Order: sequence, then C-alpha cells, then structure tokens
Amino acid sequence: MAENIVEFRHITKRFPGIVANDDVSLSVKEGEIFAVLGENGAGKSTLVSMLFGMYEPDEGEIYVRGRLEHINSPRYAGSIGIGMVHQHFRLVSNYTVAENIVLGLEPVSKIFGIFPYVNIKKANHDIAELSERYGLKVNPTDVIENLNVATQQRVEILKMLYREAEILIFDEPTAVLTPQEIESFLKIVKGLRDGGKTIILITHKLREIKAVADRCAIMNRGKLIDVLDVETSSTDDMARMMVGRDVSFKTERKPAKFGDVILDVENLTVRNRAGFEAVKSVSFQIHAGEVFAVAGVSGNGQNELADSIAGLVMPSGGTVKLNGHDITRSSVREHLTAGVAYIPEDRHNVGLVLDFTLRDNFPLRQYYTGKFSSNGIISKSEFESYGEKLAEAYDIRSGQGGSTITREMSGGNQQKAIIARELDMKTPLIIFMQPTRGLDAGAVMNIHRHITAERDRGAAVLLISLDLDEIMDCADTIAVIYNGSISKISPASEISTDEIGLYMMGVKTA
Amino acid sequence: MRKFSQSLFAIIISLAFGALILWLMGKDPVSAYMDILRGSGLMEKVKYSGRQNMFTDFMSFIDALTPMIFASLAVALALKGGFFNIGIAGQMLFAGFCAHMAALFIPSKIAVIVIGFIAGALIGALIGWLKYRFNVNEVVTSIMLDSILMYLITFYINTFYINPVSRQSKSIISGARLTLSGFRWEGMKLDIALAFPVAIITAVILNWFIERTTYGYEIKATGLSPHAAYYAGINVNRTALMTMTLSGALAGLAGVSYFCGYLAAIQPGETPLIGFDAIAVSLLGGNNPLGCVFASFLITVISKGTIYMSSRQNIDIEIASLITAFILTFAACSSFLGRRRK
Repeated sequence: MAENIVEFRHITKRFPGIVANDDVSLSVKEGEIFAVLGENGAGKSTLVSMLFGMYEPDEGEIYVRGRLEHINSPRYAGSIGIGMVHQHFRLVSNYTVAENIVLGLEPVSKIFGIFPYVNIKKANHDIAELSERYGLKVNPTDVIENLNVATQQRVEILKMLYREAEILIFDEPTAVLTPQEIESFLKIVKGLRDGGKTIILITHKLREIKAVADRCAIMNRGKLIDVLDVETSSTDDMARMMVGRDVSFKTERKPAKFGDVILDVENLTVRNRAGFEAVKSVSFQIHAGEVFAVAGVSGNGQNELADSIAGLVMPSGGTVKLNGHDITRSSVREHLTAGVAYIPEDRHNVGLVLDFTLRDNFPLRQYYTGKFSSNGIISKSEFESYGEKLAEAYDIRSGQGGSTITREMSGGNQQKAIIARELDMKTPLIIFMQPTRGLDAGAVMNIHRHITAERDRGAAVLLISLDLDEIMDCADTIAVIYNGSISKISPASEISTDEIGLYMMGVKTA
Repeated sequence: MRKFSQSLFAIIISLAFGALILWLMGKDPVSAYMDILRGSGLMEKVKYSGRQNMFTDFMSFIDALTPMIFASLAVALALKGGFFNIGIAGQMLFAGFCAHMAALFIPSKIAVIVIGFIAGALIGALIGWLKYRFNVNEVVTSIMLDSILMYLITFYINTFYINPVSRQSKSIISGARLTLSGFRWEGMKLDIALAFPVAIITAVILNWFIERTTYGYEIKATGLSPHAAYYAGINVNRTALMTMTLSGALAGLAGVSYFCGYLAAIQPGETPLIGFDAIAVSLLGGNNPLGCVFASFLITVISKGTIYMSSRQNIDIEIASLITAFILTFAACSSFLGRRRK
C-alpha cells in the first residue's frame, strides 16, 4: 500500500455563522485519485483550499509527506509540491500559453552575461516538451483569449506540472466542459496518476468519480461522512450519503399538456458585440406548459439568444412575440412587465448585486412596482417580509438571514435566490440559462423540480443548457443550436442523446 | 458597525502618528492636541481678545464646517453610484464664482444657494455625460475640469473682478453672503453660518434618499454592479447621469457656502483644499451621509484648530494636512482590508 502523502487531522474551520469544516480527518495516499464529494456548502472547497494555503484551519493540523506543515500561502503550498486548478482559471488572457505557464518562474538568460531577460524561446521549447511528455496538447505561442475553455484548462494543468507539483488539486474541473471535453479531461487525469502524481478532485458529479477516482471522501454540512473505495461502492450509495437522504435521479414528470403558443420567435438574428452574427435567423415557438430546451456546445449563440429574448440585447432582425404582442424592440423593463423572467448564466455579475444584502436582491426586478414602493419611496417592511417569505419558500440558507451580504453565500444558495426571485413573478415565459452550472446533485434536482412545476403551472419554459443530461431530464421539446442556427427541433421522446450529439457537433444538419 | 470600527481605527492610528511626529519635534503632543480643541472652540482658551470667547470660536468653527459637510456628501453620493468624483474643488470654485457673478445682479442669499446648486449640477452633469456618452473616465475629466475652471476663473477675476488691495476677487455684498459676519449679540461678535442648518438637513435627506427611495436603490445597484442593474431594468446611463448631477450640485452648495459664506472672496489661482479633504472625510464616514457629518466635524476640528495650535506651539500649520493625510490613507486601507475576504 502506498503511504499517505497528505493527512488532515481534526480540521475545523469556521466562517461567520457557519462551521465549514467540523473536525475532519482524512488522508490521501500517494499516487491515487482522491475525490472529495459533497453538495455546495458542504465544505469540500474550504477543506482543500486549506491544503493550498488559501485559508488556515482554526483547529487541527495538516501533514504533508509525514511532516506537519503550516501552509499559510499558495506560494508556500507551491514550494512543497502542491498545485491547484481553480474553477475559474487564473490566466493572463492577453499572454501566450508559454508566458502564462512560466510566469513567476521564467527561464532567464543574460545579454552579454549582464542584462537579464526572459528567454521566451527556451520557454516555448520547454513548454512544447512538457506538453509532449504529458500528452497535453497546447501550442505554446497561442494567446490565451483565443483558446477554448478545455485548452485553457490544459494550460492550467501544465502550469502546475511546470512547477513540478506532485499533488494536483482540481476544483470542479468539469463544470465548464462539454461532454466530449470531459471524456478527454478524465483521460488526462488518469494519465497524470499513472505518471505518479497524486490527484485531489473536488466534484459533485458522481459519474466522473465512478469513472476515474480510486477513493472518495463524502462530506455533508461540514462533516466528513465516510471515505469509500469507489470500485466497491454504488453511485446510489454515494448520492445518498452526500445528500443525507435518498435521491431519485429522474425527476417525476407528468406528461406535458401543451396550451396556446406563448413565445413566437421568427427569423431572429442577433449580432454580438463584435458585430458578428451570433444568432442567425432562428425561428421556433414555445407553448404554454412546454419545456423547450436548447442544446449545444458552448459559444454557439446561446448567450445572445437568451439575452435577446429577455430584452438585454437588441436583435438586429426578426421578431419576438409574447402572447401575440411584439416585444422585439422593447426595453428590459418592458420585457419584465410583458412577462419574461430570466435566470441568466452569469449569476455573479448579472443575476445578483453581490454586495447587496439578500433582502435587497429579491426585489431587484420589481422594486419600482406598487408592491415594494409607492411614489418612489421604498417599503422597508415589504422588503423584509418578502425576503423572509422567499428564503423560506425556496429553502435559501444564509449566515445572517436577510441581512447576509449575497457575496458571502454559497453558489447554490445564490442561484436559489435568483430562481426564487424570477419564479415568484409567475410570468408566462421563463428563460433558464445554464441554471445548474456548478451546482451539486441536490440543488440540481431541486431546480429541475422547479422547472417541471413551472411547466405544469402552464408557463412556457425556455431552457438553454450545455448539460445534455439536464436537457434529457427536463425537455418536452429539444432544439439543437449550432453556429448560431437551430439545426434540429424535435419532440424529446423522438430523439436520442447520440443524435443530439451529432447535431451539436455540426456533423448532422437539418 | 464594521465600517464604524474601521473609521475609529483610522482616526486613532492617525492621531497616534501625529503625536509621534509632534513628539519627535520636541513638542508635547497632549498639549498640542488640546490647543487644537481650543482653536475649534471646544475648550476654553487661556485668554480671549475683546468680544470673543469660546462660543464665538465655536461659531466660526461651524462656519468652516458647513462647506466640508456639503463637499463630503458630494463625494459620498458619487461613490455610492460608482463614481469617484475627485473634482469637487473645481465644482466648488465654479459654483462660488457663478454665485459671485449672480449676486452682482440679484443680491439675495436664496439666489446664491440656487445658483450654486445649479452651477455645480451642470459641471457634474457634464462629467456624467462624458462618461456615458464617450466612456471617458470620470477621474480624468473631473480633475482636468478642475484646472480648466480654475484658470478660466482666475483669468476673469484678475482681469475684471479683482480687489487691488487684497489681490483677491472683490467681496460678495453682505446681503448675499451666507455667513453673517461680525454679528453682534450679547456683547459678542459672532460669525453665523446660515447654511449650516441646510447642510444638516441635506445630510438627513440624502441619507433618506439613498436608503429609502427607488432612486437611491437604483444608484446603489448601478454603483455596485452595472450589469446587474441593467438586467434589473434600470436605465443605467440615466442613473449615472443623475448621480453625477446631484453630486455636482452638492459640491456647488459646498462652493457657495465656502466662497460666499466662510470666505467672502475668491483667491485666484487656487482650488479649495476642502475639495480634496472631502474625499478623506467621505471615506472616514463610510460613505454614509450621516457618517460624513461626524467625519466632517472631526477633520474640521483638526484643520481649523491647528491654526491656533501652530501659533501657540510654534509648529507649522501643515501638521493639520499631515494628520488628515494619515487619516485618508488609513481610512482607505481599512476599507480595503475590510473587503479582502473572498
């Protein structure tokens, strides 16, 4: 048996109002893929962040290679061979791949033996070699901002390898990847393990754990529930432990009952900021009581489609009709009053004012209405009671109730807050844009249930997602968007995942 | 509450630094600080000249405090809306100048206040408009406008409006001045700042405006997250323009209470230091209108009281600016330290 390379002993970490880790002890063996599984807010990121020196534990000790370490900064973590790829990449977007990788550890040469300069040729050469050795395909001279997410992730991995990290931490690495990219990422991780690295994988995707991990720690509400051998455990068991109750993976759904056409999109064309046609002459209809899901690989016009129907971006051509009224050129607020709720993809910058309290975020879209204000004067008591009502109804947890600064809440609860706010308006049309990205199984279930409930209430639902499972679970009608055009529209029951995949990749076109 | 303790921390550290410097200069910090309080009319001086006492000192302290309150409110409001209005000084000068000119035709205190409000608002609106129309950074435009306005006004004063004896502009006629200077009452000669109650009421109203109106909600949302504000259906450009217009208007009130109140004339070739101290005051007050009143009080105690202290202790008057600068630095540091988490 390989020996323990990392040991957490009785780790406790508290944040205001929350115990993020409660007496957690576990050890990671050298050369294994060790997964940490848990819902959002279960404390898995906190635990691993302490290993990378982003926080220090309030109580308990961390041993690395048998030695007690006080890891007080990522720099120190790096010096003892620990590397981390964050969920949001930390790359300089206008630098090349090689420049990003060597940043801070540049190969230095000297002109005339005196004046130092960064030897970028050597850097490019080293990176090419490194990329070859680990089978991580990158071109050292490409500029980061021109690369897709999966390639950027490879750059992050190479960055760790260049720094000779032996313990590699991945925080939700597959949250932003497409199914095909996930496959290749999992292969990379296995390759790294076989090359002798120790991998710590934070995730809540059971399938990935089952596919690659050797062992798996399960956390729930700050406590370590168990450490399992992945091979001998079933995903059902893992899910149950993670959520603390039985989870059914399939949402129970009544058959859809379509009503009248609510949303009628005709020849919609939208230009993106660069003036490029991101959505090209798209037409579809959504009925009352229908979940219309749009599948597609990231960056095929989904953002522009959602933003233009929600009124955030003015289309350059075509019409959008809601209940027969033309709303193509209406303002954001006119869309709201007409009845379009929108759960945007970017919950931090668009969906919420992060530095507002939770209570102030709920009325964000309705504060001007008679419910929350009269003659421009805000009703504090209405803000308060509304906040309590929504937090209660949608089970939104926060450290200090309505006065919690939204920034300090977990991602899952932030998303719940947005969903609560939008659904409570009871609009005829609801747009869900990537509603479950980065959320754990429990939260995903919850959101899928809401989607179904809204449909059953008689709302038209437009669901745009990169997650094919999500689309298969929720959709009544499936459309595939490729390169700005809708290449296929089909009832969900009449199309297979494989076929959708072919349309997504542009192999098949209508 | 956290903001309050940050501010308190900034003040204590800064006073400690000031004390250290005084001590290094061979002075007694305690008696120096007590002289500052005496100079602001908060402690009894050893002796007074005729018709003066602690109360008259306090009244002239209030006179100096009034423009500071307005100026810091201008900074605070702009910061709430996501703008760093660093050009308060220029807006003050322009408003003061316009009021001087208007008073030549309409010698009325009300007119002075109204003209100051409008003149400041115009400059603020210009900065806001440049921001949303051409996306020019407000820090650049406001500081450049400071210079442009200052030189234009200096030119005009030196050419048409100079008092050849004092080398300042002519004085505003007393009927239009916002401070009753040398008012005799109970054997005392008082300076009464008529704009002071206006300043306090403005602070209270502004606080209510920001916290309890939909406009305030829009300003805060826009300031904290323009994208989210846009998604909320807020007209982000209009809100930004309104914020800067109001901020400029408040700076204008600071201008008239300074140049047509505390002072009666305009010194050509200078912008008022208050315009810059107001930034420290606003940060110290946690960008809260009521906090600004208290912070203004404190900073004005230091700047006003130091005049007396410097003559008593034979210390250069710049020590006041030094302590204020310390407070600015620490207030800025602690407000950034406070948001470092996550």
